[in-house]
This record gives sequence, structure tokens and C-alpha cells, in this order.
Amino acid sequence: MIEDRAAMGPEDSAPEPTPEEVQRPPGPARYRWYVLAAVVVALLALPLFRPMISSYNYVLTLGALILMWVAMSSSWNILGGYAGYISLGHSVFMGVGGYVAGVLLYYHGISPFLTALLGGLAAVALGFLAGFITLRTRGPAFIISTIALLFMFLLMTDNFEYLGGAAGLPLPPLEVPQEWLRVPFYYAMLFIAFGAVWTSYRVAHSKFGMGLRAISEDETKAEVAGVPTRLYKISAFAMSAFWVGVAGGIYGYSIAFIRPTVFFTIAISAQMVLMAIIGGKGTVAGPVLGAVLIYAINEFSLVVFGATEFNIVIQGTILVAVLLFFPLGVVGTLRKMNRLPAFLNWD
Amino acid sequence: MGVMLEARGLNKGFGGIQAVNDASFDIEEGTITSLIGPNGAGKTTTFNLINNVIRADSGSVKFEGTEITRKMPHKLTRLGIGRTFQVTRALDDMTVIENMVVGSSAENLRGTFGSRMLDSETERALDLLAFVGIEKYAYSKAELLSYGQRKLLEFSAVLMSKPRLVMLDEPAGGVNPALLERMVDRIRRLNGEGLTFFIVEHNMDLVMDLSDSVIVMAHGEVLTRGTPEEVQSDGRVLDAYLGMA
Repeated sequence: MIEDRAAMGPEDSAPEPTPEEVQRPPGPARYRWYVLAAVVVALLALPLFRPMISSYNYVLTLGALILMWVAMSSSWNILGGYAGYISLGHSVFMGVGGYVAGVLLYYHGISPFLTALLGGLAAVALGFLAGFITLRTRGPAFIISTIALLFMFLLMTDNFEYLGGAAGLPLPPLEVPQEWLRVPFYYAMLFIAFGAVWTSYRVAHSKFGMGLRAISEDETKAEVAGVPTRLYKISAFAMSAFWVGVAGGIYGYSIAFIRPTVFFTIAISAQMVLMAIIGGKGTVAGPVLGAVLIYAINEFSLVVFGATEFNIVIQGTILVAVLLFFPLGVVGTLRKMNRLPAFLNWD
Repeated sequence: MGVMLEARGLNKGFGGIQAVNDASFDIEEGTITSLIGPNGAGKTTTFNLINNVIRADSGSVKFEGTEITRKMPHKLTRLGIGRTFQVTRALDDMTVIENMVVGSSAENLRGTFGSRMLDSETERALDLLAFVGIEKYAYSKAELLSYGQRKLLEFSAVLMSKPRLVMLDEPAGGVNPALLERMVDRIRRLNGEGLTFFIVEHNMDLVMDLSDSVIVMAHGEVLTRGTPEEVQSDGRVLDAYLGMA
């Protein structure tokens, strides 16, 4: 029978197995911790080098933005990467965080540095609710339902007077001398990025994360094997909302106004997805690297080609090229080829 | 020995086809019961109804006296029903040992968010992999296993949750004779230790050799049930297979 012959692997021929030593994989290389520690110290120390950086505020603004995207892309990855449920509406959580923190500042004068975490919790609550409903679907239907969620919030905030409607709410600026204005935002985003990456790392190294990976591969099999798939999926959705919400709270404050189109557009959601995919979705380091890469490509082509349409074409071309050579994202593909440097192997 | 699993009046239609039609049967504790029948008889659907991968239109299932008809599959796994699939569904991108451990229950929140694998789980998984003879692949990706080895992996993974009833959907399908012999031997050994088996299988030699009791299905209905000898000498069974009804 053809079927039988196909099943005959070379290893199948021995009728009784001889006991063999189990090949355990080696642990992570020691030097990885030194590299990571060096990166962390450099990030923490960056604002201290004020005299040596000519465009100080620009560098810190850019740094804060990259860190924000690191956080949001890593958070998206918990649901989209580990569990395989692609959300194209994740910026809804950014908006919820932004509006919660923004409204508390506008009407009650409480600093978003205190309330951003509340915004994150509100995003988690929405994540539970939305997950409870939308996670009954999967595949394309799920993606559409997350987009619908986004449009729902766009329409609601557009027409809600209390939230400023389409014009939004102007937020009072932080009372700090102009030359130091970016520092608190930089450190806040640094904290958020650490939090998000740590969360992502913890999930990846837990039974929960293993269950999510099983769900992304074969949900029925996972369920029968004993994974409470529905509970895990909804938890993943809620968990992936938290740091996005916190980041939204700080981001709204940093640009000093909140309005619907800052948050509730597909472009922002798609950016999280793009970064995770370029870096390698489903890996811990992937979204981090993806966010840095996208910004590096953008800045590079902006400097070389200027702010023209040509610049956008070049960016697109580079992204296509990266995905052509790294179909699983940079980290995912390198890992598959066993060429991943140890300091990027956080899985 | 009492009744372990009790199926009563199971029904499932897909569009115009009645895949399972009023199926009722018992599985006795400590036995090996086989479910046979021609292609399309509703065997796999019956399996799916029992562990609720597909929801039954009507009917009920009891396991050790507990009503389980509406319970989620992962709850049934915890209750002690293990199940493999006809087409092996190994989680390819995960290692063999992760395939073993993925379903094992985390008792509390700390277990869920703590370490991926406890030492006790690793130990048990390696023991079970050794039991079926594929322990040297423990840390390889599951996609690297041959078809027969995947069947063995699924078989041993089912044992991780310490089931009392194991449902195997075509354990012999596509497995070469050497691995099949190993599989049959392991089923016998476990049955000797008191584990109950419920098996869907097309390999008649295997079924007649292994089973204490055989249930025959055709066109979604339970046709007859008996010892291998009784079933083999039943004219209706032959009719069902050769289409002379």
C-alpha cells in the first residue's frame, strides 16, 4: 500500500527501540545577558547625555515613539503571534487608554503619568468584553470583527460631545521647561516597553503561552489535549490590550491633544501587525526588533530620499524585500535556520 | 465490572445526511471495545459526539455515571477521557515533549503563568515517550517524526493526563508493521493494568485479535454488537461491508 510505504521512515525499521540518551537542548548562551544588560543600561542612560546630543528633543521623541511601538507590537503579539488570532483593531485599546487618561486630565486635572495604568485596565476590561464576543469566530471573520470594533469606537468618539467629538480635547501641556519636556515621556515609554516585553516573555515561557501556541496550530487538537481554549483566548485578548492602553494614555499626553483619528484608524493597528510580522510574530524578540527595524528603515529613507512619495515607495520596497528573504520575520526565519544570535533568542 | 461510558440515542445530521442515527451503546470498564463499520458509517462522528468536538443534535453521554453531553472537550480530558485523531494532529511547530505536556492541567494561576514545564511533568513525559520508544526525539520538533511515530506520540500524549478511558481513532492507519506491533503490545499492557480502550479501526485482524467486544455501525446506526466471533458470523455485518443489504 502506498500509504504504508510513505509512512516508512528510516527510523521505523527497528521493531524494539534500544534505549538511548535523550538529547537535551543546551540552555541559552551566557553572553546574551551581558548584551541585554548593556542595551538596558544604554536606554536608561540616554537622556543623561544631553550635551553630546545635538538634536536632543528629536532623539528623545523618536526614542519614546520606538519604545511605544515596541510595547504595542509586543502586546499585539500575545494574541496575534502566540495564539494566531490576527487583530486589525488593536489601536482601539490605545484609544481607550488615551481617552481615559485624557478625560481625567481635561476634566479633573489628574496627570496621565498616574492614570495611564487606569487606561490600561480599562483596555483590559474592553479586551475581555470584546474577546468574549468576537472570539466565537476565527480566521477572516475574527479579523473583520476587530476592524468593526475599531469603527464602532471611531463613530462613538466622533459623536460624543463629552469626549470633544471629532475635534477632540486639547490637553494642558506638562509644566516642564521646554528643553526637558521629552524626558518624562521617554522614561514613561521606556517603562511601558519593559513592562510589555516582560509580559510577553512571561507568557511565552508559561503553560499559558504553550497553550496559546497549541491554539494557533490546531485549536481542536489543543482543546482535546486539555487546553481550555476559550478561556485562554479571551485572557490573551485582554492581556494583549493592557500595555497598548497604557501606551495610549501617555501618547495622548505627549502630543497634547486627543481626537478620534489619532487612535481609531486601521493604519495604526496595521503598524503593530506589520512590526510584529517583519520582526517575527510568535517570537518574543520579533516585535521588538520589528519596531526598531521599521523606524530605522523609515528614518533612513527619509534622510536619503527626503519627505517625498519616492521615500514611501522605497520603504515599501524594503519591507517587501525583507519579507521575501525572511518569510517568518527576521527572528522567526533566523531561528528556523539555526542562525539566530543568542541575544535575540528570548523564547 | 461496571459500565464506564453510556451513550444513549445519539443523533447528528450534516445537512441532509444523518451521520449518526439514534446510536446507543455501553463501554464496559476494563475492556477493549472496537467500533467498526464501512466508510461513512459514522464512527468518527460518534467519537466526536462523545467528547463533544461536535455537538450532538440529541442524545446523552454518561461517563462513570456523570452526565458529560455538554461538557467542553478539555473538561472531559480532565475527567479521564483521552482521545486521538484519525489523521494525526501533532502540533508540528512544537517539540515532542511540548506536545506531551501542553494539555496537562495547571492547578492554579501560578501553575498557568509559572514555568512552561514542571520537572515532574518532564519526567512523566519522558517515561511515556520511552514506553512507546520515541524518547530520543523528545526535544525535536514534532514535524520531524514519521507518520507512524506521530501516531505513537499521540498515543503516549493521551496517557499524560492519566485517563481511565482511551479512545483511539484508527491507531493502525498508515502505521508500518513494526511500529504497529509495538502499538498493539502497549495497548495490551495498559489494558492489563486496567485501562479501558474504545477503538475505531479498519484493520480487521487487529480488531478481532485485540477486542473483547465489537460494535458494528452502518449508515449511522448501530447494527449489532458482540464478541469478535459473534460479529464475524453475523450475516448483517457482511452485508454492510459488501453492500448487499
